[in-house]
Amino acid sequence: MVTFKLNGKTVQGEEGQYILQVAEKYGVDIPTLCHHKALEPAGMCRLCTVELFDGRRSRFVTSCNYPIWEGMEINTDTEEVIKGRKLIVEMLLARCPDVTLLQDLAKEYGIDSPRFKTEDNDCILCGLCTRMCEKIGNNAISLTGRGVEMKVDTPFQAQTDFCMACGACASVCPTGHITLEKIKAEITTQKPQLIKSEYDMGLCGRKPIYVPYAQAVPNTPAIDRDVCIHFKTDGCKVCTEFCGVNAIDHSMKDEIIEVNVGSIILAPGFEPFDPSGLDNYSYADHPNVITAMEYERILSASGPTEGHLVRASDHKEPEKIAWFQCVGSRDMNKCDNSYCSSVCCMYAIKEAVISKEHADYDLDCAVFYMDMRTHGKDFERFYNSAKDEHGVRFLRSRVHTVNPIKDSDDLEVRYVAEDGEIITEVFDMIVLSVGLQTSPETIQLADKLGIELTEGNFTKTSTFEPVATSKEGIFVCGAFQGPRDIPQAVVDSSAAAAAAGMMLKEARNTATTEKEVVPEINVTGERPRIGVFVCRCGINIAGVVDVPAVRDYVSTLPFVEYVDDNLYSCSQDTQEAMAGIIKKEKLNRVIVAACTPKTHEPLFQDTLLDAGLNKYLFEMANIRNHDSWVHKDDPDAATNKAKDLVRMAVAKAALIQPLEEAELQVNQTALVIGGGISGMIAAKNLAGQGYETHLVEREAELGGQAKNIYKTSSGEDVQKNLSGLIDETVKNDKIKVHLDANLKDVEGFVGNFKTTLASDGSDETIEHGIAVMATGAAGLKPDEYSYGKDARILTSLELDRKFIEKDASLKDVGSAVFIQCVGSRDTDRPYCSRVCCTHSIDNALELKKLNPDMNVYILYRDIRTYGEKEYLYKKAREAGVIFIRYSLDNKPVVTIEDGRMMITAQDHVLGMPVKIEADLITLASAIVPYKDEKLAQFFKVPLNEDGLFVEKHAKLGPSEFSTDGVFLCGLAHYPKPIDEAIAQGQAAASRAITLLARETIHTSGTVAKTNPADCSACGVCVSVCPYSAPSFIDADARMFPGKAQINSVLCKGCGLCVASCRSGAIALQGFDNEQIFSQISALCEAV
Amino acid sequence: MSDWEPKIVSFLCNWCSYGAADLAGVGRMQYPANIRVVRIPCTGRMSPKFALAALREGADGVWVSG
Repeated sequence: MVTFKLNGKTVQGEEGQYILQVAEKYGVDIPTLCHHKALEPAGMCRLCTVELFDGRRSRFVTSCNYPIWEGMEINTDTEEVIKGRKLIVEMLLARCPDVTLLQDLAKEYGIDSPRFKTEDNDCILCGLCTRMCEKIGNNAISLTGRGVEMKVDTPFQAQTDFCMACGACASVCPTGHITLEKIKAEITTQKPQLIKSEYDMGLCGRKPIYVPYAQAVPNTPAIDRDVCIHFKTDGCKVCTEFCGVNAIDHSMKDEIIEVNVGSIILAPGFEPFDPSGLDNYSYADHPNVITAMEYERILSASGPTEGHLVRASDHKEPEKIAWFQCVGSRDMNKCDNSYCSSVCCMYAIKEAVISKEHADYDLDCAVFYMDMRTHGKDFERFYNSAKDEHGVRFLRSRVHTVNPIKDSDDLEVRYVAEDGEIITEVFDMIVLSVGLQTSPETIQLADKLGIELTEGNFTKTSTFEPVATSKEGIFVCGAFQGPRDIPQAVVDSSAAAAAAGMMLKEARNTATTEKEVVPEINVTGERPRIGVFVCRCGINIAGVVDVPAVRDYVSTLPFVEYVDDNLYSCSQDTQEAMAGIIKKEKLNRVIVAACTPKTHEPLFQDTLLDAGLNKYLFEMANIRNHDSWVHKDDPDAATNKAKDLVRMAVAKAALIQPLEEAELQVNQTALVIGGGISGMIAAKNLAGQGYETHLVEREAELGGQAKNIYKTSSGEDVQKNLSGLIDETVKNDKIKVHLDANLKDVEGFVGNFKTTLASDGSDETIEHGIAVMATGAAGLKPDEYSYGKDARILTSLELDRKFIEKDASLKDVGSAVFIQCVGSRDTDRPYCSRVCCTHSIDNALELKKLNPDMNVYILYRDIRTYGEKEYLYKKAREAGVIFIRYSLDNKPVVTIEDGRMMITAQDHVLGMPVKIEADLITLASAIVPYKDEKLAQFFKVPLNEDGLFVEKHAKLGPSEFSTDGVFLCGLAHYPKPIDEAIAQGQAAASRAITLLARETIHTSGTVAKTNPADCSACGVCVSVCPYSAPSFIDADARMFPGKAQINSVLCKGCGLCVASCRSGAIALQGFDNEQIFSQISALCEAV
Repeated sequence: MSDWEPKIVSFLCNWCSYGAADLAGVGRMQYPANIRVVRIPCTGRMSPKFALAALREGADGVWVSG
């Protein structure tokens, strides 16, 4: 250590350090223009000149490159020093009079205008650029010439190949002498390129060191070795100089890690179709033609325009936007993807509606489509509201070409309207609804693993094992299984987990290690002893907030017995130190003022547990995400805010109490309601993983709707597979089948249900831990198209029955007509029944197979053969099936005269009515749920207006309910084909097993509790709770009969009941009134 | 009056708006420092009494988001 005097104060520095470095450490500000932490000092600008007294005499030295020595005396702001600096600034200003930085400095030193002759330069010859280039390992530029001729230049003053156009020189230039434009024009021969941000779809750039996106897990920056200069030149490593914890290691290598697994699940996803090759849409060369994925980023608040809807070319708010559907889907002409991508119709409508909602002006949104495919749950309603309420225009037309308009950023679109008229329209922006496809890397992976793919390059699976690949033990989920939306991908992921779990059930719990539990110290009744740890988070907090000031302030607050600041509170060693301090100081409340409790609360709560404290004796003050990061430019305000936030936490902490987490045994038995295909699959999976399962069927035999279906769209025999499944179910000794049975009563809640079954006139009570609703749905019996008046008019299922029974009369049919959307997509049932288009087309092909000369017509509104079902549509057209479109306001009419069935429909191509005589009419009738309100009440699960069960989350929780312990699958959720019903049966079992496998449930401590003495039994809490946690105490109970009680197992701690309670009889532990009031009053005290 | 800055108390739902405020930080979006956040488990927990208490204690505005 070297000790010397700095402005009269004794300071210490390390041997070899320069004056400037030590001054920085002690917070003494010395101005400099040529210093950079990562570069060797050069003493070029002379602005850092200070006065050195060596014991005998004074002299001036440049502090950036003058090493310290024992006993020296340094003064940084004497009159002489300032006078000298002023002269330097004046001379620099004379050389570069237009440089803002120097103008500002001149103002600071009181210089109006330089006394010297001014020049027209903008380089102060600080040498930062040349030293940086040298550090990078490139030496493409250097200072050339002597004296007044000196300047920054390339060898021979020519553009050089050596410059890699990395831009490092421009990034350090303090005056703007070197810019990216100058590099391009004068320095490099190479083409500087933006490193495109993958997350922002290349709409903006990113750095070589980057966090892929804000929510990335882990949220740690990574170095992109392909673009990082160090990996090109071996130089640079500037980043390491700035990392406070030496976390950057350029020598890290990729590792090959071998893991032993019993099963593999493939979830590699998809890549959006790249429309660059479609020259007719001008995507590659026009900035205002973008893909839907790019458009998503423009709409996103975290995107390149921060959610402001503007077009790329001129940042103008668009007035007219067009969406083109089926770009890279349903197309064998411009690409090879003949399948439907399933999701694009819906996402285009969503984007159009969001855009409309977003724009505070009259924005015109037009969607150009072939068939509108809104076949998901609640999608048809959304489509209708987009059309009728939001005014999105839907134009059934495939646009051939986009013509960029000369001398304008607009785009001209010519299309053929439905009536045949050619229309020209100008749009500001065009969004291409690009399809989903499997990436070449994924195809390679499939090849390596030896799994079979379909012709569309998705995984080949069977209807009855929808997540199993062709190789045993390898399962698949997500878009690699076929293009699909989020809910279906989530169903499949749970299904894949179930399938893998079945294989691995023997290994369950064999690799578990248990954590040692420290006995909890009882602190009840103790005076609060609050410990506060203020985190610096490196420079993330300390760079803005004055952490020592916050720390000192906090020590003055009531009940605070200990306070300190940490560099990184979340680091392993700090955690251990904190546990030690908690014990040593006998703290009974702990506050960490750092980042957000949403990510770090569990970590610090573990530290409390390690110190023997109840984990609820903890509070966080969010002084990073809510403070230092968002008030970077106002350190004083940020520091004050940090003090306020910690004071609020201290006020609350003084009132918090240890909370208990109750433990509940989970009954290991399952109950599945509904013996159709999805119910049987759920039972099979539950039993297969070792759980006793009761399967309840209201009818006399198992099978459900599948009993009526002939074959699947991929040609598998349904009856053969179904009887196999029924056989397996009946023979499974872990499954108890209850036929002709109905539910009479249900009591209890997750883990402990008690259900009374009535069958054969006797009652049976089953105790079970979970329940699966697989109650199915039925085909509609139509009341239109003369159904029931002629034996030749059938529903789809009745036609299937004829196929199953090999009805010979089918062969003699001369003309068969299918009518689609019978009872679906109308005002009574505004939903799509999802399966009927595929089913009718499949049956149409089957009829053609029986008799190739048969005339087969399909009258439809939109053909919805989503995913790879599209191939069937194509096959049907090739086989000569005639498709005639009708609209809801001009439905076909069926008449029967003298035994002849006639159908009149408006032909959409001819624009004229056509009359078809039919020998067979098949009505693709809707799928209608049973709307079992009693069952819904038994398990406290909701039904929607269509009578379908409402799942926990439309996207992320499709196979479970908000009510814990109750799961959902099959048609009761939404109409779906067999493969999807099976996947959901597996998914429901998988979700249920996550609960059953735990054997015990720990409730949260932050739950609501009633004080029955104050309760007026009004029932508001019982009616408002979305989780059915409150209930009335039995009327014949000894204590508080009829008053409200809250089941802490079901309570999610949202506090809705607390806020709604008129009697103030409910408290939310951990967020109680007094605690929140204390925060409010602490907050409003003046600092 | 031009220097006057209102003191705003916000009650943010733990699951959405509080998380959004966290993300605003991650995205380094800058906003005025005159807002203080009280984290509540759900906006269902919000009671009119909290808003009144904040105003009574001197807040100029109350923002509930969830």
